[in-house]
Amino acid sequence: MNESVSFFGLVGRVSKTVLLLVYALFALFPLLWMIIMSLKPDSQMFTTTFIFSPTMENYGAVFLRSDYSHFFFNNLIVSVSAVLLSLVVGVPAAYALARFQFKLKEDIAFTILSFRFAPEILVILPLFLIYQKTGLYDTYFGLIWVYQLITLPLLIWILRGYFEDISPDIEAAAQLDGYSWWQVFLKVLLPLVKPGLVAAGLLCFIFAWNAFTFPLLLSDARAQTSTVVALRFLASDTVHYGQVAAAATISALPEVILALLIQKHLVRGLSFGAVKG
Amino acid sequence: MSTTVVLPPEGPTIEPARTELSKSAAKYAKRKALRPYLILTPTLLLTIGILIPFFAAIYLSFTDFTLRSSDYSFIGFDNYVSMLQNPDFWHSLIVTLQYAFLCTTVEMLLGIGVALLLNEENPISKFLRIVLIFPLMIAPVIGTLIWKLMTNPSVGILRTPMSWIGLGEFKWGASPDTAMFSLVLIDAWVYTPFVIILVLAGLRSLPRSPYEAAMIDGGSAWFVFKNLTLPMLAPVLLITLVFRLMLSLQEFSIIFALTEGGPGDTTMSLSLLAYNRGFPFYGVAEAIPIMLFLWAIVYLISFILIGFWRKAQQRASGVA
Amino acid sequence: MASVQLHGLTKWYGKRRGIEDVTLDIADQEFITIFGPAGAGKTTTLNLIAGIVAPNGGGIRIGGRDVDGLEPADRNVAMVFESYALYPQMTVFENMAFPLRSPKHRTSASDLDERVRRYAKVMKIDHLLERSIQALSNGQRQRTALGRALVRQPDLFLLDEPLSHLDAKLRHSMRAELKEMRSQLGTTTVYVTHDYLEAMSLGDRIAVINQGRIQQVGTPKEVYFMPASVEVAQLFGDPEINVIDARVKSKPGGLRGLQVLGENVPVGVPADVVLNGAETVKVGVRPSDIDVVETNSAANFHGLVYSFEPLGTKSVLTIDAVDGTRIRALLDGHRTFDVDRRIQFRIDPYSLVFFDVERGRFLAKSKLKGEEARDG
Repeated sequence: MNESVSFFGLVGRVSKTVLLLVYALFALFPLLWMIIMSLKPDSQMFTTTFIFSPTMENYGAVFLRSDYSHFFFNNLIVSVSAVLLSLVVGVPAAYALARFQFKLKEDIAFTILSFRFAPEILVILPLFLIYQKTGLYDTYFGLIWVYQLITLPLLIWILRGYFEDISPDIEAAAQLDGYSWWQVFLKVLLPLVKPGLVAAGLLCFIFAWNAFTFPLLLSDARAQTSTVVALRFLASDTVHYGQVAAAATISALPEVILALLIQKHLVRGLSFGAVKG
Repeated sequence: MSTTVVLPPEGPTIEPARTELSKSAAKYAKRKALRPYLILTPTLLLTIGILIPFFAAIYLSFTDFTLRSSDYSFIGFDNYVSMLQNPDFWHSLIVTLQYAFLCTTVEMLLGIGVALLLNEENPISKFLRIVLIFPLMIAPVIGTLIWKLMTNPSVGILRTPMSWIGLGEFKWGASPDTAMFSLVLIDAWVYTPFVIILVLAGLRSLPRSPYEAAMIDGGSAWFVFKNLTLPMLAPVLLITLVFRLMLSLQEFSIIFALTEGGPGDTTMSLSLLAYNRGFPFYGVAEAIPIMLFLWAIVYLISFILIGFWRKAQQRASGVA
Repeated sequence: MASVQLHGLTKWYGKRRGIEDVTLDIADQEFITIFGPAGAGKTTTLNLIAGIVAPNGGGIRIGGRDVDGLEPADRNVAMVFESYALYPQMTVFENMAFPLRSPKHRTSASDLDERVRRYAKVMKIDHLLERSIQALSNGQRQRTALGRALVRQPDLFLLDEPLSHLDAKLRHSMRAELKEMRSQLGTTTVYVTHDYLEAMSLGDRIAVINQGRIQQVGTPKEVYFMPASVEVAQLFGDPEINVIDARVKSKPGGLRGLQVLGENVPVGVPADVVLNGAETVKVGVRPSDIDVVETNSAANFHGLVYSFEPLGTKSVLTIDAVDGTRIRALLDGHRTFDVDRRIQFRIDPYSLVFFDVERGRFLAKSKLKGEEARDG
């Protein structure tokens, strides 16, 4: 598209930039403000806006003197394990769906995808009962299992695209070179999909970390995750707003960092492989 | 041997006698055919495990099971009937549709607009492309939390600017008039980046040759947009629409975190309604039909839209 | 070293036929070409031999033993893919070493090193061993793929259109190199191509395959001069052979004459051509067997120049005959012709290939003059 160097062209470009910055303000200001709040000591909470003396006391209070760290680690354990389980189960499945032609292929693929769009409450209602009966309520395993509804479809559909991008000739060549199917998978295919694996794994981790409804209703004091607990901070009677902000920041920080790492693969990931970035 | 001329068999080409496979060949063929199923076994097991609660849900919906007592009886379609007769249900349906429609429309329009703006190669755009995704990466609950803080009457940063434009008494989530607006605002804040990212990827993957041809043939900007950009972008737009629509129809965490369905039942979407029925009131069996209904809607809409998406993909590859 | 027998091979892809009833007997150390247009079933055949896909019918023997139940890894076959199928994240050395590291081969490190370097030298890529394959040109990639196949010293080579992605010059030189390699190594080779020049120059024999079925198997000469059908004849030669309708007229003294192209020009049917009383036939005339003449004669056909394409040493002349048939002639490059010019030309009856009218099958060709006469 040609750039006109006329006056109207300039006005156009300036207004475009202005609009963009307005949206950027809308999108990013809340995050900045949250960080600012988290660094504000209680004493200056109501009296200052942007100019204050920053302190880490809120983070200290949240992390060291409350049980928030316990929930933070819960989230870590559950999310990481959920992703690992999805990897072990999902990677071969993604390969099978990418490569082989068999009768139920698209049906199975669509079923897996549909898990992502099932209303959470629909699953939770019976699961609540089942978990109570089987003792899975408020356990790591119970959450890891439910989280598969979030992580597995995502992983399989993203990786399917990556496997489809690999020419089948390479597998055939490796087989002719003397490797069994399984060895071909490990030695040739996995290294080739490694970027996709990492991206999919991280994206799944982000979604697992952010899960709210499942841990809210299927876990309690023992296994609950930081995402749920952060909300509780705000609901308590004596509200230390700075600490709330600190809790929110701690909860949000890992994903922001991870998102920066997997930028390149984000499009493919978010659209479940429907759009190649 | 090597100089024999082998001619194809005489006579019309009918089905020739197929040579039988040797036993080892048949076994090999079978082994190859079974492979996909073997590989898929763990996933299939997991899938079945995941399907169990679904079937349990369907079963329970036909009973009067509540969390209060452990015995229950089969009551057929009673739950469904009473659901359809309950005005709360219809109200929630409207709320859900309203929420989904508003969110999706705002996000699609805003997202496409911003994506168009970001489709330039200047340093600001490049930087923003990376940074604007942050709201999406944060848990929607946390996002809601931040907005709650920002609109908090004591410490919220927004109270001053709001009073400048005469809305100092804006009640955000606390008032029936403003609750839906607040929810849509937060949802848009979280999910617009989703639209931006996908549409931007679509824009950047548009092939250049049709545009060059149009420049030579002399098409107006509108013509180019209508006949080239739109059809080629349609698949991405549709898939984005599908994702947003389906997810906003079942949105739970944002509404729960801000209003819990209130005030009263102004924002009681179907998900919230089911939650209320099932948990504080223990009426599990009553709540399930509500969710099944929602799922049916989601399924139906996605089915139709994915059909459009496939057609749009075919059309798009025809243009380029 | 091994002979290969394909017997009744059939492969269906859903409802689509890949190949059907393919039977081929390949001798040990033979270099046979499988030739056919795109989609004919050439790659399918190779994939079946290699074991990459399993057939729906028929069997394969390599070196005298049934390989039907064997995985590709166990068949001791090496294949060079059209896409080369090199391992992207590895260097040239590692690509060539990969087969030797497999459990099937288990070569010691020193042996491996020696072998890889030896064959890299044969393929003239020994200076590229440390380079990543992403940084190679097409030609170099192709050599690496060949090297990877050679390194294993297999019983059988399968080459799937190895030259098709190279530019014309490279193709020429690679063809010569392949021929040399072939005479040095002597491994049984099955070579697939859609380029008839490659097929004719490289193979001991050519197996012509079209629409999943073998149309003809023979030496390059046989396939060119005695094609089994009109289709086969049209696959070899550029410009394509002219196939025209002809009526056979009996003349006194047991002679026969052909009426073609709407004129009564006498074209005698050679005495050794057996037509079994057919009254109408199709005849194939190679463009190189049409001679445009300047002097008048009763034996000349008449025509109008439709188009003229000078191609250097040769030129292609497209002629509209009296009855409207369009035929092409291949002429010496020094002659030029204007469009719409009236010309006269002759056809050598001893070069004609006779096909039956209904199915286009080969009927006869004279052996009395030309190449065949010398072969006897």
